[in-house]
Amino acid sequence: MTFLLWLSVHFTQYTVFFYFLAVNSVYTLLIIFALRDIIRHAHLATSRAARRQLSGEFYYKPVSIIVPAHNEGTVIVQSVKALLNLHYPEFEVIVVNDGSTDDTLEKLRREFSLEPSKKPLRLQVPHERVLGRYKSAEHPGLFVIDKVNGGKADAINAGINASAYPIFCSIDADSLLEPDALLKSSKLFLEDDELIATGGIIRVLNGCTVRNGSVTDIKLPDTSLEALQVLEYTRAFLSGRTGWNALKSLMIISGAFGVFRKDMVVAVNGYRRTVGEDMDLIMRLHRHCREKNIPYKILFVPDPVCWTQAPFTLGALRRQRNRWHRGMIDALLTNREMILNPKYGAASFLGVSYFLFVELLGPLIELFGYISVPVLWYFGLLDTRFMVMLMLLAVLWGVSINISAVVLDTYNFRRYRRNSDILRLCLLGAGEFLGYRQIMLVERLRATLTFRRTHWGAQVRKVIR
Amino acid sequence: MIEHITHSPRFYEYVGWAVLLLAAFNIFQVAYLLWNKARVDRSERRKDELKRLAATAVVTSLSPADLLPPPSSEEEYAAYAESIASVLDSFEGEIAERAAGLLVTFGIGAHYRKLARSRAWYKRCNAVDILAVFRLEENRDFFTELLRAEPSDDVKYRIVRGLSLIVRGAEDLGELACMLSGLPYLTPKYTEDVFYNAITRLKAAGREDDFGVFMGRIMRDDRVRTLIKRDCLTACYAAICERGRPLLKEYYAAHPGEPEILAACVRALARTGDFTLLPEALRHPDWRVRLAAIKNAHLCCEDLTPEIAALLSDPNYHLRLNAALALARAGERGLAALRAAAAGNDRFAADIAAYALEQGAA
Repeated sequence: MTFLLWLSVHFTQYTVFFYFLAVNSVYTLLIIFALRDIIRHAHLATSRAARRQLSGEFYYKPVSIIVPAHNEGTVIVQSVKALLNLHYPEFEVIVVNDGSTDDTLEKLRREFSLEPSKKPLRLQVPHERVLGRYKSAEHPGLFVIDKVNGGKADAINAGINASAYPIFCSIDADSLLEPDALLKSSKLFLEDDELIATGGIIRVLNGCTVRNGSVTDIKLPDTSLEALQVLEYTRAFLSGRTGWNALKSLMIISGAFGVFRKDMVVAVNGYRRTVGEDMDLIMRLHRHCREKNIPYKILFVPDPVCWTQAPFTLGALRRQRNRWHRGMIDALLTNREMILNPKYGAASFLGVSYFLFVELLGPLIELFGYISVPVLWYFGLLDTRFMVMLMLLAVLWGVSINISAVVLDTYNFRRYRRNSDILRLCLLGAGEFLGYRQIMLVERLRATLTFRRTHWGAQVRKVIR
Repeated sequence: MIEHITHSPRFYEYVGWAVLLLAAFNIFQVAYLLWNKARVDRSERRKDELKRLAATAVVTSLSPADLLPPPSSEEEYAAYAESIASVLDSFEGEIAERAAGLLVTFGIGAHYRKLARSRAWYKRCNAVDILAVFRLEENRDFFTELLRAEPSDDVKYRIVRGLSLIVRGAEDLGELACMLSGLPYLTPKYTEDVFYNAITRLKAAGREDDFGVFMGRIMRDDRVRTLIKRDCLTACYAAICERGRPLLKEYYAAHPGEPEILAACVRALARTGDFTLLPEALRHPDWRVRLAAIKNAHLCCEDLTPEIAALLSDPNYHLRLNAALALARAGERGLAALRAAAAGNDRFAADIAAYALEQGAA
């Protein structure tokens, strides 16, 4: 009995202590890599290249923009208008109405003068039955496909079959692309034949002012719940993805905004029907290219910006995070061959390992720590001074990582111009540890227990004004 | 192990230091954030002001250097460089000469030539990009010398693009082709852009013939990669290089086993109004050649209706679609062929024909 107690005390101490050290070290390293990448990017991403693309007669590749829409009646018209106003020489917009039960299709039909079209779809990737095809009488580059509900992945697959161009961009219906976002992301395809997928940064639209489909005034949202998500997105994209980018182990390109080479996506049979279709696709692309010895690159670029609505209620946020976590577990399970497999190189040992040991097992260890440390302390098995110091160190290190993400953002991109917004973000970097993080932890644990569920959950949108 | 660490007499002292350091680092980061933001805001305002001043001075004054403060910081050099580049893009003659003069007077060219030799490859890339937009002939030797010493391919691609903006004739083009063949192939768009720049430059100098001479020289030159030749033909198409027309047919005949070259020839010829290769190309076994032909078939397709109608049953979706659209634009004979296909048993052909008829009606 005494031995068992001794063992459990030691196991707890070692696990919590080393997990804390490992995770924070990984985040710190990612920030260092990200900083290097962002400094380089600042020198290379000049306005000259974008100008050449805009003015050049043919220095571009045409792009198909695919917008899956399920019950997006509140936002769809503004989103499509914004897309039609993008600065890009040649593109088409394909809206896929994925069995909406609201007025999404009706609004599109009315606003863009849709007419039935007989254009046949290709049969390249699988999807549910198509009910109707429409083209706009006013905008020659706008097509709408009405289909039986099959989920986001299925809707994008239908869009891929309808698309005419070799590169496609998938974007959420509640998101707004900055006018030059497509230029900046598709430019990479002109400069590198090995590039197969790329994504830009997703920023939180809540709190910002939108005029004619463009974000005109960038402001931090008023509620802490939404502002905390701004911090999370900044950290996830600027330190996380930029860092993974530098390590050539990017495992996810956000479903809200990604640009892909169509032939490669078709080669892996398109999107798979799952709640984490974005991560799953990237993992399958890694696998496909590695298995077939195809030289490839999957890159994140920090300056093309896509603004998206973040959940504004705790319930909606919990549902979203639950879905993301289930999606990640499903992607890891489906692509389990990539786990610690030398065949997949850095993508396996760095990218997949991070998702497995930090994102998947992390919540379990964190919960273990939250429960065991106070229990051990209560029974006098843990030194109070040690516990306090460890917690203090953990919080300060975490705050430091959060503020570093804000530094990365303001170093080059400087979207939030008000000092008050920047200071508030820094304060929230500390505030995150007082409840928010724990709520997200609980949701991730719930998702781990129910990972087989494939339900998306209802999404609530605000009208974009 | 943890006991060993925690029972060490100085453990809590070390942890205390770590906590203090982290707290201090966090405060430093916040202070840096605010300071840096204010600095960059100031610098951007200054940069905008200088850009505006420089553009106005170059356009309105005979000696703009007298009206402008000499640059002293990186931001100021960047502001002048951007402003001068846009003047050079928009103006010719005296104003352009004054802008180019400012590059010398203020040592802007020299500044970026120095930066083009810096240790960080990304700084060299940026400096070469900036020097390239000035399109100064005196940079040619500098670029050539830089290319020889440059270890990074990323920078080399930019140098070659810079050289393409200042070509003088067939000799320079030959060198460009050799440089491109010596580098790992980047993308078709990049190579096309290099030749497009060169053709545009030669056209402006009234030396378009030189491009024809160059194309003739590399046609059977094995040192130049096939992909480079193909991109050269595509650039011919994009820049509507009339002088290349006679050679395009020779290329078509000389490369029967290279479908991408054949497709590029068909496209470029059609752009210059020569459709003589279309009937043969429509029957080519490679779909890329057929596609290049079908996209232009509507321009001359009265005689080609049977060939185009046959492509309505092609296994390739793009070919079926473009064949149907070509027929829809081909007058009554084309429409009749579409109606027949729409009523036929081939479902793919019928669907695409119905769509094209709808498009034709619209």
